[in-house]
Amino acid sequence: MKTLIIDAEKCSGCRSCETYCSLKHYGVCAPSKGRIHVVKWEQEGMFVPINCMRCEEPACEIVCPRHATYRNYDTNAMTVDTTSCIGCLSCVFACPFGATFVDRDTGKVLKCDLCDGDPTCVKVCPTGALTFEEVSNEVRVKLVANADRIPLLVKKAIGGE
Amino acid sequence: MYGWVGKILRIDLSSGTVTTEPTEPYIDEYLGGRGLGVRLIYENYVPGTDPLDPGNPLIFSTGPLTGTAMPGSGRVDVTALSPMSKLRAKSNFGAYWGPEVKYAGFDHIIITGKAEKPAYILINDGRVEIRDAGRLWGKDTFETQKTIQADLGDPEVKVVCIGPAGERLVRFACLITETGDAAGRTGMGAVMGSKNLKAIAVRGSGAVKIARPDEMLKRSLEVIQFMREHPAYQELSNWGVARSMTMMYDFSFFPVGYFEDVAWEEIINNYKGPEYVEKFQLKNTGCFCCPNRCMNFLDVPGLGKGVTSCEPWSGFTGGVWNLDMDVFWEATLLTNRLGMDCTETSASIGLLMELHHEGIITAKDTDGIPMERGNKEAILTTILKIANREGYGDLLAEGQKAAARNFSPEALDKVDQVKGLAPHAYEFRAFKASGLGQAVGHRGDPLPLRSSLLEVDWHHAPEWFQQVAKEQFGSEEAAIPSEYKGKPLAVIISEHMERVPDSLGICKWLYGLFIFNDVEMATNYFNDVTGKDWDVSQLLKVSERVRNLERMFDVRQGLRRCDDSLPKKFFEQPLKKGKYKGAVLDKEKFEQMKDEYYQLRGWDKETGIPTREKLEELGLKDVADDVLENL
Repeated sequence: MKTLIIDAEKCSGCRSCETYCSLKHYGVCAPSKGRIHVVKWEQEGMFVPINCMRCEEPACEIVCPRHATYRNYDTNAMTVDTTSCIGCLSCVFACPFGATFVDRDTGKVLKCDLCDGDPTCVKVCPTGALTFEEVSNEVRVKLVANADRIPLLVKKAIGGE
Repeated sequence: MYGWVGKILRIDLSSGTVTTEPTEPYIDEYLGGRGLGVRLIYENYVPGTDPLDPGNPLIFSTGPLTGTAMPGSGRVDVTALSPMSKLRAKSNFGAYWGPEVKYAGFDHIIITGKAEKPAYILINDGRVEIRDAGRLWGKDTFETQKTIQADLGDPEVKVVCIGPAGERLVRFACLITETGDAAGRTGMGAVMGSKNLKAIAVRGSGAVKIARPDEMLKRSLEVIQFMREHPAYQELSNWGVARSMTMMYDFSFFPVGYFEDVAWEEIINNYKGPEYVEKFQLKNTGCFCCPNRCMNFLDVPGLGKGVTSCEPWSGFTGGVWNLDMDVFWEATLLTNRLGMDCTETSASIGLLMELHHEGIITAKDTDGIPMERGNKEAILTTILKIANREGYGDLLAEGQKAAARNFSPEALDKVDQVKGLAPHAYEFRAFKASGLGQAVGHRGDPLPLRSSLLEVDWHHAPEWFQQVAKEQFGSEEAAIPSEYKGKPLAVIISEHMERVPDSLGICKWLYGLFIFNDVEMATNYFNDVTGKDWDVSQLLKVSERVRNLERMFDVRQGLRRCDDSLPKKFFEQPLKKGKYKGAVLDKEKFEQMKDEYYQLRGWDKETGIPTREKLEELGLKDVADDVLENL
């Protein structure tokens, strides 16, 4: 099983991941429809891509009143069945990472499906900030280390120490 | 529509009126970006209007490919009547503002009038608001952006703004977005300041529709892979242009000082740009969707953070005889924060240094500050004094000529400008296509063109690049710097190539200069995005139309053949050393190149004015009727 890993320190903030995500899924170029989002502090040179963390006990799945969010066990991605989704946004608010997004056009939820196991964002990421790797103990350590670093980076970007 | 989002937004700040009109009627003839921008300025500028008069339209133009996923799609073209040259202004910036304009629903923005009080424009998904900017007035460009984002409670709003220099109508004030992406040249900041307009903030959640999304995605994956393996990409994405500086000085392609010297041993041996990057670079960054990160993001303790790209690396080093990289960085950050064109700023300082060096001015002329070559105080204080319009800075703010005129006739004689602007800081004595391109170019600084960079590339592998020149520009000589032969055609082809990415709203570094050396890839993407099936020649035809219309705008302003020239230094003072020791431009051969250029273009040789036949062939009969009949 592979997973998507974010190393925020490498991100250049180019938004390719967001834009190619919309091209791949909707055939348009619109970062607002991206299922990944880069939070940017451009005057600090700090950019943090936010993407579904595929939690073991996913809040998005637990809160969904229609069971529209479920795990795809082939890819481990959390998937949204758009026909069942009523757009209540419970999952958006419940996500502890802010990694579930809303399509402002349709009001529906945008959730990373890992492109069925071959994520486009990873292919277009120019800096290696996004990688897709086999889950091993080594990768778990990396995942946690990177996730740990994000709050520190953010703190630094907004002027804390 | 695919590619274009379909609307031109028109805002009149005097009346507060906001209207829109369709983009579609223009697109087949002018595409967008620079091309459509020139049509809009031609139609909207009323001859006789002063550049700082409310009637001067300030026009922002994205292109059909701006905001798409293709690499380098973040560009915006800006035009108005230039307060420096009183010709058509042309400036272009990248980063993230342009795509946001498209997502908000607009291809172009035309701003006229003058707000009663300092104001800024907020565009949010098709809605337009003119808001009070009283609190922003006086703030530098970094603070302005942060304050707007904080006030709106939206850190993702994209802002392009002016700094104090633009507010004070410094003739070469620029527009800044983020920390160093600038519409640098031709004084767009002064035009914006004259409208009491501090900033344009944009937020959009819309989309650019793609006609052939699968083809585009497939192409992009190949292009991105190709780029990653390209040596230019690897160099630019790691070092920006910092490492190529010494080479440019060594080739005598970059001048030292105010075009006074070349091959300055000290800068060739002691240029510390790369070391500075190694020590202080946080990372390289780039524009929207661009894998090629050509901007250095530096974080220098005590001086500050921000990005820089090409010009300051030479303008604030060799251009002002400076080897102290801290001074380079402080000067770069200052000009960006104050909102001034760093090319014109460094050239203005260079002028003062030459005048001082030759004893034409003394410290008394410059408020007691000796304008010695490389003097840190001279560099940094002059920047502040220009932006604050203090003392001699107030004169420099009106332009190099205004300042020099005030010193003495001898000083005025020393000013090296082309069409009211500091020329691009290339050494034209040895590089003939670069010189021709600079002289005939429409804004006084049209470089770099491919025909110019080819003369640099030639040094790496002469035979190979002569072959390239033969295939692309018709003759082997086109690549050889010292040759006059073959240059006019090379410049014309390059001018047409350059206008393709400029009109599509994409980066010409990628699609025409460094990664793809022609416009075929740009054409492929144009077809993927818009669903059209154009070939390269159709896009180049648009470029020719755009070039001719640009020329006609300037002809209407009084531009003639005699304005297509270079400072006399290049004809009178041979290079004293370096690889091209002894090189100087031969006036007669130079004028012959111009003859050939006009003839190939179908322009009148005596006046440099496009002929009626040429204009009609390009579908510009209305322009011929308007302008040629009223000369």
